[in-house]
Amino acid sequence: MVRTATDIRSEPVEAIDLAEARDRELVLGIRRRDEEAFRGLFGRYAPTATSLAMRVVRQSYLAEEIVQEAFMALWRNPDAYDDTRGSVKSWLMGMVHHRAVDTVRREESHRRRAEKTAHQAMELESDHADEVVEQIGLPQERRRVRAALDELPEAQRAVLKRMYFDGLSQSQIAEATGLPLGTVKSRTLLGMRRLRAVLVQEEP
Amino acid sequence: MTRDHAVIEELLAIRSLGGLDGDDGPLLESELASHGDCEECRRLEREYDETAGRLAFALDPASVDMEQAHEILRRATHPATQDAAPPPIAGTIDELEARRARRGRSWPAPVAAAVAVILAVSAVVLFGSDRSTGVQASTAQQVVGFTGDAGELAMAYRPGEPGALLLGSGFADPGADEVYAIWMLQGTTPVSGGCVRPHDGSIVVFVNADLTGTDQMAVTVEPASCPSAPTTAPILVSDPLVA
Repeated sequence: MVRTATDIRSEPVEAIDLAEARDRELVLGIRRRDEEAFRGLFGRYAPTATSLAMRVVRQSYLAEEIVQEAFMALWRNPDAYDDTRGSVKSWLMGMVHHRAVDTVRREESHRRRAEKTAHQAMELESDHADEVVEQIGLPQERRRVRAALDELPEAQRAVLKRMYFDGLSQSQIAEATGLPLGTVKSRTLLGMRRLRAVLVQEEP
Repeated sequence: MTRDHAVIEELLAIRSLGGLDGDDGPLLESELASHGDCEECRRLEREYDETAGRLAFALDPASVDMEQAHEILRRATHPATQDAAPPPIAGTIDELEARRARRGRSWPAPVAAAVAVILAVSAVVLFGSDRSTGVQASTAQQVVGFTGDAGELAMAYRPGEPGALLLGSGFADPGADEVYAIWMLQGTTPVSGGCVRPHDGSIVVFVNADLTGTDQMAVTVEPASCPSAPTTAPILVSDPLVA
């Protein structure tokens, strides 16, 4: 059920962090057709959303389009956000990720041609970026997520990365790695269980 | 009695990452339905979706122009303007152009020859009702080829007059949910020239549109709804059109 603005406003804030409270305020503003609230939420999350879309589709134009579509959907129907189902930021990233994965699956033949080269380039870029950012410090959220990923066994982390960041399905990962489909599934579940325990169930 | 959520949990975890495929989507829906009003199912779904969303923050943020927010609001407020001025696709076209430059000119000779033959027969039908006009027109007609990996495609048109004939071969069936979309590139702005499905790998289509101001043509694969702006990168791009 989609809750109304009044429902959200009356919810106690102590259970959620201040950033999330701010995000929900911005969603309330968007429901009131406040363009500044929209710009506020866009400014907070479009950079990460663009990075995510870019990582999955690997073309800047498509990534930009995907992010614009997601934020357009938010502006047109802010009631689609249901605060009982999670944070604003995860909901936004979910919208962007779903669109990116859909785009990749549509362009599968094109992607397969470019995959090997692009994957190698992406790995190098990612490693380099990690070093640079560690030196200048990261917001708490990024540190937590990266630390949680680093704590995973390599086999689980590799499956999660290929599924989420490369946009591959469970069957595609099984085919690409030679792992039995059941192994891909069990590694995904084990990895996600650990991440859930750290990122969601033990929130500060 | 406590229900077993093992299957549901595994499938929800995979779905949250976008990895579900095959029969597992329907299986998950079936399992969820069999649990009815299930608080544990909702908790698992909520927490795995939340976890997946957080993963995005492992990435470094990209540089984003806040002008995009303004553009989204403008498009939302004036959807008609959006249709009139779809976003540019220069980046992806540049990629194809660069690829063409590396490979050298790739002229689909068999298709171009077929275009020429068909034009000799159909010029009157397509571009004029008078036979002599048609013959005169054929001397001014231009044929351009397309570069890309989707198939061979060529287009015939007469500069300064509306309409173009596209002929292609070797096109894969895009499936029931997708079509090939034809775009007229005016600068970096793509204008829809309609959508088409191949028959036995061949495409024969007359684009009834004004090509004035069109620099190049392009083809993308789009949803069967045939959107007014491209949502995917071009798979074919034509040689420059003669004004």
